Amino acid sequence: MNGIGQAFGEALGLLLSGDRALWEIVGVSFSVSLRAILIATPPALVVAYLLAWHRFPGQRLLVSLFETLLALPAVVVGLTVYLLLSRRGPLGELGWLFTQPAMIIGQIILAFPILVAMAHAAFRALDPHALETARTLGAGALRGFATLSREAQFGLGAAVVAAFGRIIAEVGSSMMVGGNILHYTRNIPTAIALETSKGSFAQGIALGLVLLVLSLGLNLALGWFRTREAVTP
Amino acid sequence: MIHRALSVFLLSALIGLCVPAASAAAPLRLATTTSTQNSGLLDHLLPAFHQATGIEVHVIAVGTGRALRLGAAGDVDVVLVHAPDAEARFVASGDGTRRYPVMKNAFLLLGPPRDPAGLRQATDAADALRRIAAARAPFVSRGDDSGTHKKEKSLWQAAGIQPGGPWYVEAGQGMGKVLQMADELGAYTLTDRGTWLAYRDRIGLVPLVSGDPRLDNPYAIIPVNPRRHPHVNYPAAMAFVKWLRSPEGQGRIADYRLHGEQAFTPTAVRLAR
Amino acid sequence: MSWMRVEALRLARGEREILNIARLEIERADRVVLRGPNGAGKSTLLRILAGLLAPDCGRLTLDSRSGNWRRLRGALRKTTVYVHQRPYLFRGSVESNVGYALRWRRIGRDERRRRVEEAMEWAGLTAMRHRDARSLSGGEAQRLALARARVLRPALLLLDEPTANLDSEHRTSAARLLGRLAETGTTLVVATHDPSAPLPGLTKHWILREGRLHVSIPGDVHRRATRKTG
Repeated sequence: MNGIGQAFGEALGLLLSGDRALWEIVGVSFSVSLRAILIATPPALVVAYLLAWHRFPGQRLLVSLFETLLALPAVVVGLTVYLLLSRRGPLGELGWLFTQPAMIIGQIILAFPILVAMAHAAFRALDPHALETARTLGAGALRGFATLSREAQFGLGAAVVAAFGRIIAEVGSSMMVGGNILHYTRNIPTAIALETSKGSFAQGIALGLVLLVLSLGLNLALGWFRTREAVTP
Repeated sequence: MIHRALSVFLLSALIGLCVPAASAAAPLRLATTTSTQNSGLLDHLLPAFHQATGIEVHVIAVGTGRALRLGAAGDVDVVLVHAPDAEARFVASGDGTRRYPVMKNAFLLLGPPRDPAGLRQATDAADALRRIAAARAPFVSRGDDSGTHKKEKSLWQAAGIQPGGPWYVEAGQGMGKVLQMADELGAYTLTDRGTWLAYRDRIGLVPLVSGDPRLDNPYAIIPVNPRRHPHVNYPAAMAFVKWLRSPEGQGRIADYRLHGEQAFTPTAVRLAR
Repeated sequence: MSWMRVEALRLARGEREILNIARLEIERADRVVLRGPNGAGKSTLLRILAGLLAPDCGRLTLDSRSGNWRRLRGALRKTTVYVHQRPYLFRGSVESNVGYALRWRRIGRDERRRRVEEAMEWAGLTAMRHRDARSLSGGEAQRLALARARVLRPALLLLDEPTANLDSEHRTSAARLLGRLAETGTTLVVATHDPSAPLPGLTKHWILREGRLHVSIPGDVHRRATRKTG
């Protein structure tokens, strides 16, 4: 059995030597999660804005629905997407099971409630007169949304960063609907799961370090957004 | 300007969402067992197959039970598994076209070197399991409906024992993970020889029972029936079957060495003698 | 026929009646002061006139168009600008705040720039054009809000307690700006609970008490106001 020190050394070696297999996996992770966050963000912001600034029936129910979805385990999302995309499922015709689009769909579903909940809080934190001011100066529905999004930019940025942090590290859904296919749907978390099960800890640790550095970066970004939010109320 | 950049981003993201399904020149989707992947055999075979045919293989490594269900649902094009009874049912039900034998290896009963249940004195595999149960010595089961798990269940049946109790650990994990667990727990377990060879240097377990004909482990490849699932990549599946059973494929299987030992024995009829 | 008329305007929150106004009229170039105790519904009335808040019922006439509030909401928003007691300033510089309302209008770039320059000049903001709007003092923020409204050339400007948070020096400069706005023909309605708040050239005086509106002509008002303070 490898000592932890030796595995760590090998991991650093892999990272520093620019091991192609390793960086390819990192690339899959980013490509999938970035596409997921880009697709999820605009509709999530619209939903959050409507929940924060407009009254409509069923609103409170919707807010608590999204708060509940926050706690949804990734494997449940994975299972749902799996059943939908399986050839025997309602969307089987697409042939998307075990592809990157399937992973993207799973991650969109995981990111959406975080985006809505945090963006909702960011919109609610704005001065209640902000929307009236935009409206009385002639802003219509779309312009009002754009104006308030700009006013809440740091809070919304924090929402995007937090959601990205969750989906890039989630393993349950990606494993189930992506299938962990080498060069295609094997991303950082599923590769770690596989390498660990194979007992080759060095690559697992190397990928874990990438995730660690990434989440450190994301947390610094979050902190920066929070301080910006605090100094310009 | 920000808005334009954002919409360009969005557009490319949406296009990116549609492209892989449409353009990736129809890869072959292979559902197989964790034992073929964890032993490293596929990494040895697939690059050569890709070079010979240009077909890219997407490997989904799961237990045999799930691999067959993926095939029955039409979610993959071909399955490479090791559970003869379940394979026969898969073909009989019309989900698979035909069962093509490819290779075999053997199962082993592993345990800690001090062997508290006395498996070294066992007469055969069934007797060994009876000894484990009698000693209530810890045993880690795959518990995941894989080929190995199916084999283990049939062995318990042959031993006339319904395993259960705190000594019987159902892991629900792949072969590699189960080997690590058994090693950590100082437990007995059933494994295929290929995976054990791959892990031999990293775990302290030793083979205690082998050679029983009941411990034979034949692998077969079965294309998913295109009549039931018209969308499957049947030509690629057949190309893979032919290549695996060709002298080149069989030769590469025979060549594959794990720590200096042959891991799988080719069994395709054409090569027999 | 009045330029703007509101009839049978009512608004309640649960059991509590907030506004119940039988009739209200505004002529072009009117300078109206709306007084009343805190919580009398002054801000609510201004918001309704600005097309920002829906009353329970009410009939409006604006420029010979008439109908219920919902039908005229768009016209109200086009005609008026409402300025909050503590104006909300957008993220960014003084200049970008002044130009906010012109940003998406079909106005040539030169014309847009000219209007922004002129409004900043008018409000004495030119020297601080690059400053962060959120760093302005109360008086400067009020001037910025007026300049931001002015670039739109609204026919009716509704001001909510424009001098309430200002010291006497800023109060006079704000009053001077209001006077100059009125000279350009902008109709003004200024809500205040401060009896001494000046509005040169007052033409109408509204008093809101328990949801009812009492209208008087300026001379009459003047006498009553001096009696109260004296």
